[in-house]
Amino acid sequence: MMDRRRILTGMAVAPLALAAPGIIRRANAESVLDVAAVYSLSGTFANVGAGLNDGSKWAFEQYGSAAGNKLNYVLLDDRGDAGEAVRKVQEAMTQRGIKHVIGCTNSAIALAVQKEVYARKGIYVNEAGADEVTGKDCNKASFRWPVACYSAVNATVRPLIDKFPNAKRWYTITGQYVFGDSLLSNCKDVFKEKGIEHVGNSYHSLSDREYSGYIATALSQNPDVLAICNFGNQTVDVVRQAISYGMKRNTKILAVWSTGLDQFQALGPENCEDVYFGANFWHGVDTPGGRRVAEIVKQKTGDVPNYLQACGYAVSQMLIEGINKANSTDIPAIVKALEGLSYEGPTGTEKIRPEDHQVVKDYYLMLGKAKSAMKDKNDLCDVVAATKALPPPEKTGCQMAASL
Amino acid sequence: MRATKRLPNLATAIVLAALVVLPFIVPATLASQIAIFATGALSVAILLGAVGLLSFGQGLYLGIGAYVCGILVRDAGMGLLSALLMATLSGAVLAGLLGSVIVRRHGVYFVMLTLAFAQMGYFAVLAFKGVTGGENGLSGLPRQFDLLGLSIADPLSMYGFMAGAFFLVFLLVQRVIASPFGSVLAAIRENESRSEALGYPVSRYKTAAVALAGAIAGLAGGLHVIFLGFVPPSDIELEMSQRLLVIALIGGIGSPGGALVGSAFYTIVSETLSEIWPRWLALIALLLIGLVLFLPGGLWSVGRRISALFERNTTHD
Amino acid sequence: MSTQLLLFQVLNGVGIGMIYFLLSVGLTLIFGLMRFVNFAHGAFYLAAAYIAYAVVLWTGSFWWALLLGPAFVAILALAIERLLLRHTYSLPHEAQILITFAVALFIQEVVILLFTPLGHNVPVPAALSGVLFLGPYVYPAYRLAVVGAAVLVAIVLWIAIERTKMGSILRAGSESAEMVSLLGINVDRVFMATFALGAALAGFAGVLVAPLRGVEPFMSAEALGIAFVVVVVGGLGTLSGALVGGILIGLVQSIMSTLWPEGAQLMIYAAMALVILVRPTGLLGRI
Repeated sequence: MMDRRRILTGMAVAPLALAAPGIIRRANAESVLDVAAVYSLSGTFANVGAGLNDGSKWAFEQYGSAAGNKLNYVLLDDRGDAGEAVRKVQEAMTQRGIKHVIGCTNSAIALAVQKEVYARKGIYVNEAGADEVTGKDCNKASFRWPVACYSAVNATVRPLIDKFPNAKRWYTITGQYVFGDSLLSNCKDVFKEKGIEHVGNSYHSLSDREYSGYIATALSQNPDVLAICNFGNQTVDVVRQAISYGMKRNTKILAVWSTGLDQFQALGPENCEDVYFGANFWHGVDTPGGRRVAEIVKQKTGDVPNYLQACGYAVSQMLIEGINKANSTDIPAIVKALEGLSYEGPTGTEKIRPEDHQVVKDYYLMLGKAKSAMKDKNDLCDVVAATKALPPPEKTGCQMAASL
Repeated sequence: MRATKRLPNLATAIVLAALVVLPFIVPATLASQIAIFATGALSVAILLGAVGLLSFGQGLYLGIGAYVCGILVRDAGMGLLSALLMATLSGAVLAGLLGSVIVRRHGVYFVMLTLAFAQMGYFAVLAFKGVTGGENGLSGLPRQFDLLGLSIADPLSMYGFMAGAFFLVFLLVQRVIASPFGSVLAAIRENESRSEALGYPVSRYKTAAVALAGAIAGLAGGLHVIFLGFVPPSDIELEMSQRLLVIALIGGIGSPGGALVGSAFYTIVSETLSEIWPRWLALIALLLIGLVLFLPGGLWSVGRRISALFERNTTHD
Repeated sequence: MSTQLLLFQVLNGVGIGMIYFLLSVGLTLIFGLMRFVNFAHGAFYLAAAYIAYAVVLWTGSFWWALLLGPAFVAILALAIERLLLRHTYSLPHEAQILITFAVALFIQEVVILLFTPLGHNVPVPAALSGVLFLGPYVYPAYRLAVVGAAVLVAIVLWIAIERTKMGSILRAGSESAEMVSLLGINVDRVFMATFALGAALAGFAGVLVAPLRGVEPFMSAEALGIAFVVVVVGGLGTLSGALVGGILIGLVQSIMSTLWPEGAQLMIYAAMALVILVRPTGLLGRI
């Protein structure tokens, strides 16, 4: 039976004992850098968010530390809600003192978080697709990895025109929302320049799932090429339905904006065959940076990296490289280091443009191959062209402050 | 919602205490969100609890309020209070207009109408993307707001403002329920045909209730935008209407305090659960089923049952 | 727009309309008898579509999917009716709406849990792949088969409802459930069977549509929206209502897609609101 004194001393010592390892650890530890990652793990974009989150997290694991600071990944799950994302970023920045933020699951979230982080003097690296992110809504604190509409269109439409000089009649199916419209207007610019006959356009809305009407209209125009200007599931749906109406027989199909592997898998080899896709990343392109991504993904999943994982990895990588180059976690120093920085990213040597903080990298034009030609289950498409096509900085609408 | 003499004071005290304590239990930004959605949930609760009208479309008015406030603050340089007033008015006017036609239908038809209009609002916002920013939302709102000279930019003052707004709406709703107007609403809820027979212009009362609910939702939308510094398109999506409904039900529609309880519960649970299990909505769904079957008064009714127990004990003496 | 294109849009619209009929008929039957709107309708559609995906993935047979999908969903519906809905008949109608809404949410989360949130492809059965050339038009063979299946379902249901004893009980119950129970018929069983039938029809639609659209967890919301609009416009509670409503909405969608695609969705919901306001029983309903 323990006497009272021993119980009391035990109780007094216990908290100290619990804290001791922490105290000891802190005395020996290097400093820790908390980086907030804003992704949606539930809600409508859960599929996208989960993949991006994995990529970002694994990059942190692989790098381990930056400029002598141990990297700590702090996930902010916004549940697919832009409002929630902003609130969580606010909270992380004001109440946890986090200044380094990465990630977004869609452009609405990115645009909102971008403003929030800038106002609170942090730094933000994201993977949104909207032009505005490095266009009219650009700011000194934000950097973006994937290339956007101008690049996607110019890196896919131009090579295709060059490849098929006799394919003069192009029809477009466009999502009638900001992103789709941007793809379309970029297409029209290229059409005008190259003397392409834009035989018609069908707009569809954000929540459409039935495209037979648009496909019928497209068919009636006998186009040589059908260019699809939308994103996400809608791209997959239009491709699938267009093929089901036999469009592949007489028309080339181009999905200007695709996320690559996961969409190819959603379509299956029969649908992918002979269809052209644009993509920001492809695991089949062998580069030193790509190999790094492949290594960690293989370790975690046993499979090749898809776009989401590579993209998530890339935004982490950018921040870490910036910290390393600046050899500090001070925000203005990192921003300065990142502007003009060249590093080995997932698609090869990538460079960050100082004028709008957009990464200059390849965008691929890919062609689906026949099932019999596939070397393995992931070998669904071949890269036909890789182009760095970026809008001239004066044309982006970006007006950046001189300093933070 | 029933107006009883003793309980409003107790309810008011509880709500006030909860509002004061909240920023000490949860981070101030989360507390602000709780207050904002509590305001939104009040718009559902007042319709369902006071008049017996189930609306699946309060998100429409919240969304309108949000966009109106956002556009005015950003493009017209309007001040905080005027923008919020306009948000509230826009909710009221739209709800009044739509309500005057919607209330002609009853039961499931009323519900479907609220759904249809909510969807139309969402598609309209997407269609007018030049004004609303479409799927990207409306960003670039000013971040510094002054309330009578005091800045409310830091999280705690922001919360103070949001909590104050909610409390004012809460008091308003209490007053409305206790007023003669509220009694007529209760009569309509209990037996509409008899109220009609007694000579009350039932449609007008219902429209007024719908307009009031729309005003509250519009205000909540404006508050949300001030808090976030941008207008998320999700504010006008169907999911928002569903969320407000779920919050109102969890808290309990029998009393306006339920909105705060429901909002706090839903927000805190989703916040903590979502980090453990991304499929936390499944648990919310199960909770809803349980509530409908076993606790239709929501969580607030638990409090009422306890206080009823007390009353029974005291009257025994 | 050329007449050839217009004619195609009309035919295509009718085809879409038949698919929408198939999507909605379960909802209207349940409403007709049980007088509530089953917010879990889309979830049954979703569950069966995913079962079809799984069955085709494991066995390669679409025909098995066609059998197992609706069957599983019917059993699920029976369980839900027995365990949950049963207790809400005496409660105000909101209770049934809210419970079925919660059930829909739960099923959606379970689907995401089991199958991940990513969408998947369901291959068209080999026998029906390819296109048919009908004069100057091209039409996918499988789509035609689905339209054919919808027509078949319409015919079978019509015969069942108008010409069989079960059907007459259903029709009588739609008029007055009280009378039917006074006549000695077990209304409980009829309710149960109808709910299961409605769910099975939704499931059947889900399996059939899966190869057309692929499967993804949020397809339930779309199906529910369409079903709502169709049955409201056509008339809540009647088979012919779902048929007329479906074809009308299909036509509107198809033609609007060439004239004003963004407005198509807006117009469809506006049509729904208009019908409820002007003639709530719908074009053919008779409440």
